[in-house]
Amino acid sequence: MGVPFEKLKPKRVRKNIELTLWERLYIFEIIRGLHITSMHFFTNLIGFVLPPKGKKRKIMTVYYPEEKLELPIAYRGRPVLVMRENGTERCVACGLCEKICPASAIAIVAEERENGDRFPASYTLDMSRCVFCGYCEEVCPKEAIVMSAEYEGLARRNRNNLIFSKEKLLRPEESVRDRIDYIRGIYARCNY
Amino acid sequence: MSDTAKDLHSEYMVINMGPSHPVTHGTVKFLLTLEGETIIDMKVDIGYLHRGFEKMCENGTWEQVMPYTDRLNYVSPLINNVGYALAVEKLIGIETPQRCQYIRVIASELARISDHYTNIAASGLELGAFTAFLYFVEARELVWDLIEMLCGARVTANYVRIGGLKNDLPDGFKAKTRDVFKRCRELWADVDHLLTKNRIFIDRVRNVGIMPPKDAIAWGFTGPCLRACGIPYDVRKFHPYLVYDQMDFEVPVGEKGDNFDRYAVRMEEINQSMRIVEQALDKLPSGPINVDMPEYRWQSKEDISNRIESLIFHFKTVTEGIKPPAGEVYSAVEGANGELGFYLVSDGSGKPYKCRVRPPCFPLTAAMPKMVKGGFIADIVPTFDMINMIGGECDR
Amino acid sequence: MVADLIESVVKILFIFSVNIGFFSPILGWVERKQSALMQDRVGANRADVFGFTLIGLFHPIADAIKVLTKEDFVPEGADRLFHTLAPFISLTPAIIAFAVIPFGGQYVLFGHHVNLIIADLDVGILFIFAFASLASFGAVLGGWASNNNWSFLGGLRASAQMLSYEVVMGLNIIGVIMVYGTLRLSEIGAMQVNFFHWGIFLQPVGFILFFTCAIAENKRAPFDVAEAESELVAGYFTEYSGMKFVMFWMGEFLEIVTIAGLITTLFFGAWHLPFVSDRMLVDFFGFAGPDGANILAILVNIATFFAKVLFFIWLQMTIRWTLPRFRYDQVMRLGWKMFLPIALINIFITGLVLLVK
Repeated sequence: MGVPFEKLKPKRVRKNIELTLWERLYIFEIIRGLHITSMHFFTNLIGFVLPPKGKKRKIMTVYYPEEKLELPIAYRGRPVLVMRENGTERCVACGLCEKICPASAIAIVAEERENGDRFPASYTLDMSRCVFCGYCEEVCPKEAIVMSAEYEGLARRNRNNLIFSKEKLLRPEESVRDRIDYIRGIYARCNY
Repeated sequence: MSDTAKDLHSEYMVINMGPSHPVTHGTVKFLLTLEGETIIDMKVDIGYLHRGFEKMCENGTWEQVMPYTDRLNYVSPLINNVGYALAVEKLIGIETPQRCQYIRVIASELARISDHYTNIAASGLELGAFTAFLYFVEARELVWDLIEMLCGARVTANYVRIGGLKNDLPDGFKAKTRDVFKRCRELWADVDHLLTKNRIFIDRVRNVGIMPPKDAIAWGFTGPCLRACGIPYDVRKFHPYLVYDQMDFEVPVGEKGDNFDRYAVRMEEINQSMRIVEQALDKLPSGPINVDMPEYRWQSKEDISNRIESLIFHFKTVTEGIKPPAGEVYSAVEGANGELGFYLVSDGSGKPYKCRVRPPCFPLTAAMPKMVKGGFIADIVPTFDMINMIGGECDR
Repeated sequence: MVADLIESVVKILFIFSVNIGFFSPILGWVERKQSALMQDRVGANRADVFGFTLIGLFHPIADAIKVLTKEDFVPEGADRLFHTLAPFISLTPAIIAFAVIPFGGQYVLFGHHVNLIIADLDVGILFIFAFASLASFGAVLGGWASNNNWSFLGGLRASAQMLSYEVVMGLNIIGVIMVYGTLRLSEIGAMQVNFFHWGIFLQPVGFILFFTCAIAENKRAPFDVAEAESELVAGYFTEYSGMKFVMFWMGEFLEIVTIAGLITTLFFGAWHLPFVSDRMLVDFFGFAGPDGANILAILVNIATFFAKVLFFIWLQMTIRWTLPRFRYDQVMRLGWKMFLPIALINIFITGLVLLVK
């Protein structure tokens, strides 16, 4: 069990509850506040007018369409299907992703080729439902669906445009190679 | 004079504050009865963000609940993840490996830091200190960068799994944490100087929204708001879960239970959480992060493609869901706002029979009228900010 | 006669274009950019003409186009007349007040006597106060006529606050008047030739109080309880949109300029550079001939004055973006229980010192 109530030495944080006359006079604390904010002001002003060499400016803003954030490999963008070199999908329409999807965003219609291979005749991903949880790539036994680093193109005027068909989702394997390696890596390393 | 006043036609002003009002964040409505600026009566009306979380859980498998928990307290989703995973693990009766527990501690504390940043920043914003708001939002941004590096998303983390974690700590995490915390501490000092000793701020928050310790317990307060009353109740200390008993941290407490104490407690907790993260990163043991129980934890991709047993287990656990033994369990973690409890009932099937959440901010919101009655309209602002009501968690 | 007319027209056009044409649009930009820099941001910079953004300077133009094309909305049950009138009442005093603020000394130009002030009233300060108190009607009417509870509360707060702070402000000025012995702003300015006779040295307490009260009078943070966006949505202009809304804002921005001008005139040596009198300036520029010297001196005067004004605008903006907001009752307590006694003591001490001297 945890620490007994009596033994715990909490840290009192309410310091000098009564303000000193100095602090009651507003003005000195205000001057201190002004000092802090104007320090930020002048630092940034100098940073804009004469940017210090080699030092990154302290401003966090990213000029979005021109600049883009560097995304970590773990980043979960929108899910895409992996395409084999011959142009067909890796997916075998096992339906695990459809089953696990917490938002029921995936709908698969499976069919069989002449040689007996299953493939998704249609694979629809409703991007207006998708919650980017990444379960689909996690459960996929064929590494056929991965969370790409794409995050653009999800603002549409019509919700029907957000229902992505298989053709729209397919990406060549090379473009998502890093992510596939990452998934394989994290699961191989983390488990026994 | 009194006779004249009696003859005058005067009535109280009844006014709806919210749900679309800047201070209520769109998720709550206060029905105020005002005499001038003084609050005579107040009714709290919640439920604007009700999504049926508990019912949704009953329709999903145990694993599928995890992304839903992200949306409970959407400012610190990782703690919800951890809380739910711990509850299910308690139900099953498994314990995760040491490394997993350390990483969960790191994740929870990062989430707590970001939650407290958001809270103090938002209170600053609503009290007019816009600059303090942006300093802490900047700090939160940095912490979120860490979280994104860890789990791939900034808010909808979905990082913890029943019996383990989604992935291990990424490379270079420790170094980046050190950089981030350095900048965060600078910004913390700036905000501290801007607010803590500023008399305008102190006047706004001190002796406002007082909750005596006895009442606080009676109303069901937990977390920073209870600690502000001087009661050092912290789930991490009293019912240690994960490896919190091996961490060296202090529990900050206030004295009077007013908004200033809540603010001060949160400011100090940010520091303590940073300490915990640093300790955990230093002590981090090596080893596996998942339990080796194919019936509860999904298999690695390698095993799935190489071993037919793994593949079969995998299909079975995903389609049917993991099957904890029948029974019920209550497990609580220290959320950013207080005790976040999960009460789960299992009937042995793949879906939760019942998933009840004890949201920390529900009792706090309920006590709003008690805290602000007799005060001014302007007192609602710091009080409501300091209880940190998160709609997603309160309304579920 | 004609020369007088030309002189007046030139001066009015100058001040009008500086205030309406330069300050009121540019202050919106200044506020955005300055707050951004204080808060480690970049600030609005996306309005562009053919790809040139000019550090966001097109935003005032974009704003103007936006507000002019917005729907002019009057809520149901509102008093149309007063609802429309309120922003005008708020804006006008802010523009007019600058008429009596001197921005330079007196010179002889082409044989004509030029006084760099639009209207050299002998009751200059009182004129400003008279018009400043008119501005409170704008807030009250706007709040009352909107038929909205939040506006109503905002209007109440605004009226109480503005009236209280006018009292304190008036008492502060009395100290200044006692020291300089005149109500005429151009004379007060002229008396501050000597660096050590600047108002800030003669009336340091008066300066702090006056500055604070002026910000309170203008209802800017930390005294923006009347519009406190987190409490009262937007206070008395909750129900305003489009151009009417902007007129409230223009009034506020112009009042910032007026306050800066007034403080410069009363406490910071008006148009004087430290230790440099107008005579010395004219002598310094003697190489340009008598008229040329005068013109150059006038330009230096104006530049000095507006440099000081810009500094005080910067200071007001910094204060606005640094401090949290007061609570309504604290504003009143501050005004009546703290500033009023201090102002009275200040008058008393000033009188005592004058008497002893």
